[in-house]
Amino acid sequence: MALSKSSNTYGRTSWEDSEFPILCPTCLGDNPYVRMMKEKFGSECKICVRPFTTFRWCPGARMRFKKTEICQTCAKLKNVCQTCLLDLEYGLPIQVRDQALNIKDNIAKSDVNKEYFIQNAEKQLSATDHGVPGAAGGPGKSHPPSDLLMKLARTAPYYRRNLPHICSFWVKGECKRGEECPYRHEKPTDPDDPLADQNIKDRYYGTNDPVAEKLMRRAATLPRLDAPEDKSITTLYVGNIGEKMLEKELRDHFYQYGEIRSITIVSRQQCAFVTYVTRSAAELAAEGTFNKLIIQNRRLVIRWGKSQGKQNIPGTTNTEAGARFEPVPGLPRALPHPEELEHNFFNLAPTTSAFPSPYPQFAPPSYPLMAPPPPNPTPNQPELPGFLAEGQSGIHYPSQDPTRLGAINKTRQT
Amino acid sequence: MPKVKRSKKPPPEGWELIEPTLEELEAKMREAETDPHEGKRKVEALWPIFKIHHQRSRYIFDLFYKRKAISRELYDYCLKEHIADSSLIAKWKKQGYENLCCLRCIQTRDTNFGTNCICRVPKAKMEEGKIVECVHCGCRGCSG
Repeated sequence: MALSKSSNTYGRTSWEDSEFPILCPTCLGDNPYVRMMKEKFGSECKICVRPFTTFRWCPGARMRFKKTEICQTCAKLKNVCQTCLLDLEYGLPIQVRDQALNIKDNIAKSDVNKEYFIQNAEKQLSATDHGVPGAAGGPGKSHPPSDLLMKLARTAPYYRRNLPHICSFWVKGECKRGEECPYRHEKPTDPDDPLADQNIKDRYYGTNDPVAEKLMRRAATLPRLDAPEDKSITTLYVGNIGEKMLEKELRDHFYQYGEIRSITIVSRQQCAFVTYVTRSAAELAAEGTFNKLIIQNRRLVIRWGKSQGKQNIPGTTNTEAGARFEPVPGLPRALPHPEELEHNFFNLAPTTSAFPSPYPQFAPPSYPLMAPPPPNPTPNQPELPGFLAEGQSGIHYPSQDPTRLGAINKTRQT
Repeated sequence: MPKVKRSKKPPPEGWELIEPTLEELEAKMREAETDPHEGKRKVEALWPIFKIHHQRSRYIFDLFYKRKAISRELYDYCLKEHIADSSLIAKWKKQGYENLCCLRCIQTRDTNFGTNCICRVPKAKMEEGKIVECVHCGCRGCSG
């Protein structure tokens, strides 16, 4: 009789006695006034087999009773729910989370090792702020949010997980309880389905977890935007922009990924083309906006632009040598044309003749870079920001426009 | 039903009228007692006992209070001989407990949260279409 839980306290100091379980919103259920039953040292942890304080509660009407399955130390080590063993932050299996975040932990699995490991981990946990998960290599808030996890994670609690189990008598065709049966009278899943064979240890250690495999397979088939082979393509197609989308709104968003060469809006087809100056900026933008960008409550469709031969995108030129680009500011050029220094496009004083060199695109606007200049370029042609005819150079971005900050363009006045 | 007669006195008048029904109920109780438990759930085993016990007490209670068919002496005799359950009848006299199924169902100390049995919840307050059988006596609702 001296061995009952209440009378014998020998070696009890290391047993867990908690006041509240660590649970995910799904396991807690939708009732904000949930009542729980607490049993001190009610069962052994399914992972570390030490006694812990179990909690039992009903997560809502027509749901089955749930109870905590693993101890809080084990739950904190992996930052998981004590009942469903899914990640507390994303609600995903440990295997998926660890793969996505590249977490490698070495939680011991053999008996003595496990005891020693848990003992050390507990020491660490109590040394840090208790209750903060992730002390022993688990994921804390320090990890950057993973795109993959955000996509795979559910946005709302999944209460169907709390449904009663399927009535085994009904499956055999001999349930006599009929309507009163609290178990589900439904066809069971196919036993050959890998999802039918799950176990708690595999879930915890993140090894051949069928649910995780299913999720990873789904992740592999998620729509992706592959950058085209042709490295000269720096244009993104933006679809479903509606009729009232302004260029400014697009520019405001897309400018964050890099300098924009041009934005063309085709309002008839409700789409736009955003051309970047560099390929890397375009790739960055494609990655950052694909399936994510929402402007004016519209989810915009992002695709890569087609190759230059098929699309006539302003700002690019087609010559017999292939796709040619306008000179790009900031990029080194071969050599300035001697004429360039002689032409004074702004009617500036001769002393500042070197001034246009940082802005090489103010060079003769009507011929491509490598082609010889036309004999008589028209220097007084006013520069129009925005869209020019093909082959004509424009101002790449507002900061290049000298008139923008109040400078007086003398060519227009004269 | 008493196994032995406790008093030496002969039963009061009118006993012969109710005796056959009581005999019949006792036979049913015997049968329920000897019924095999195979195929039943653990909690189900005692349900018929509670049901017949309820029926027997209800019979005496109705005869005396509702139909006024038996005398006070016979009623007292039945209570004394434990043919009818006096504490159950005491509850039936209270408002809201007119149809109480058994005494275990109102024993709040036996429950986790100090509540009554599910069969004590009025039908109107229960969610639509929910059918319950309480674990104590298999009652499907005894409160309005």
